[in-house]
Amino acid sequence: MSTTRHLVNRRRRLATSPSRAAVAPVSDEETAAETTEETTEETTAPPGLREPETVPEQGQEPEPESDGTTPPQRRLRSRLPVLLCALTVLLGAFATWAFTSAASLRDEPARQNTALTDIARTSEVKGRIGEAVGAVFSYDYASPARSDRAAKTHLTGRAVQQHKDMLAEVRAQAPQQKLVLTTTVTASGVEYLDGDRARLLIFADQSNTRTGKDEETTFAAAMFAVDAVRRGDTWRIAAIDTFTR
Amino acid sequence: MARAGKTRNPLVIAATALAVVAAGAAGWGGWQRYDAAHDDAASYAQARDDALAAGEQAVQNMNTLDHRTLEKGLDSWEESTTGDLHRQLVDGRDAFAKQIVAAKTVSTAKVLSGAVTELDERAGRAGVMVALRVTVTAPKGDPAVKESRMLGTLTRTSEGWKLSALGQAPVGSTAG
Repeated sequence: MSTTRHLVNRRRRLATSPSRAAVAPVSDEETAAETTEETTEETTAPPGLREPETVPEQGQEPEPESDGTTPPQRRLRSRLPVLLCALTVLLGAFATWAFTSAASLRDEPARQNTALTDIARTSEVKGRIGEAVGAVFSYDYASPARSDRAAKTHLTGRAVQQHKDMLAEVRAQAPQQKLVLTTTVTASGVEYLDGDRARLLIFADQSNTRTGKDEETTFAAAMFAVDAVRRGDTWRIAAIDTFTR
Repeated sequence: MARAGKTRNPLVIAATALAVVAAGAAGWGGWQRYDAAHDDAASYAQARDDALAAGEQAVQNMNTLDHRTLEKGLDSWEESTTGDLHRQLVDGRDAFAKQIVAAKTVSTAKVLSGAVTELDERAGRAGVMVALRVTVTAPKGDPAVKESRMLGTLTRTSEGWKLSALGQAPVGSTAG
């Protein structure tokens, strides 16, 4: 509080109201003026002191030409957040649509299935499963151990038991009839391929040779589907579907 | 006036920041969506599935025939085929119809499984293999059920994929 200012104000007041000053005692007038002066000083001071601070603040705004803000500019300024919010909502809505649409396109069943589209994997699974089918459905009465080894190498899960059941008859008859069963895949197609899982349709020929008293070979046509899983770096047969009713 | 200026500023900044973030998300999303829609592998996969669906249906049609609705059945055979196979069917239609009328057989087919073995999207050719169960019912005796291993070639026409060749997978030719 500067005393000079007080004095200036008091003098101005005394000058404007000489009659009151004459009637009222000086000491009373002085205290009253002092209090009113103090209150007015405090209420008027903040805007007066802040005036220089607001100028650079206004200068930082997007429209720096606001020396004295004109009505259209003020309207624009109050509308700007609204416009930006509307823009945000629109862009956000578009982004949401784009992401969900892209995700649904990618999740289409046709795309999940990479049979033929993934050429390397498709030929890999076809080759491995073709070999596996040939190995596990071939049986030589002279070396049954080889068939067991093939089953251990190429089968997994449910296919182990299925294979055991399918070859049970051959195993039982093989020693007596000197049976040689040979299975050759003649056609195979990948129905479904997704990462480490695949399903293949297999057409195979089976030649069954009895090398007993009189040698005799019969051919049989086989068709079945296999579910394959990739374990490590090789494919194994996980299930065999013979289309039984 | 001073107070209004102070509160509006962070609001504008926040709104601008949000709009910029939204614009970024929209741009990224748009690119993702474009990328997903213009995926070559996806169109190839779609062609594969279309060819398989058409192939399975055509193979089933070709193994379905009821002597009571002979004309309808033979029309469906012709609709399912194109090229040489189509010509053969048209040429042999009358003779074949006589046989079926005389035999009074009803054949129905069920596709057990099918797969596309090859697909040349540009040339419009595809190979399919179909595991089929055919039931043939004659006036006398029990229905005969047999399983067929069908190999077909499909050609793309203006009306979609159609069979241009169809036959049973040969037995015993490769074994031995």
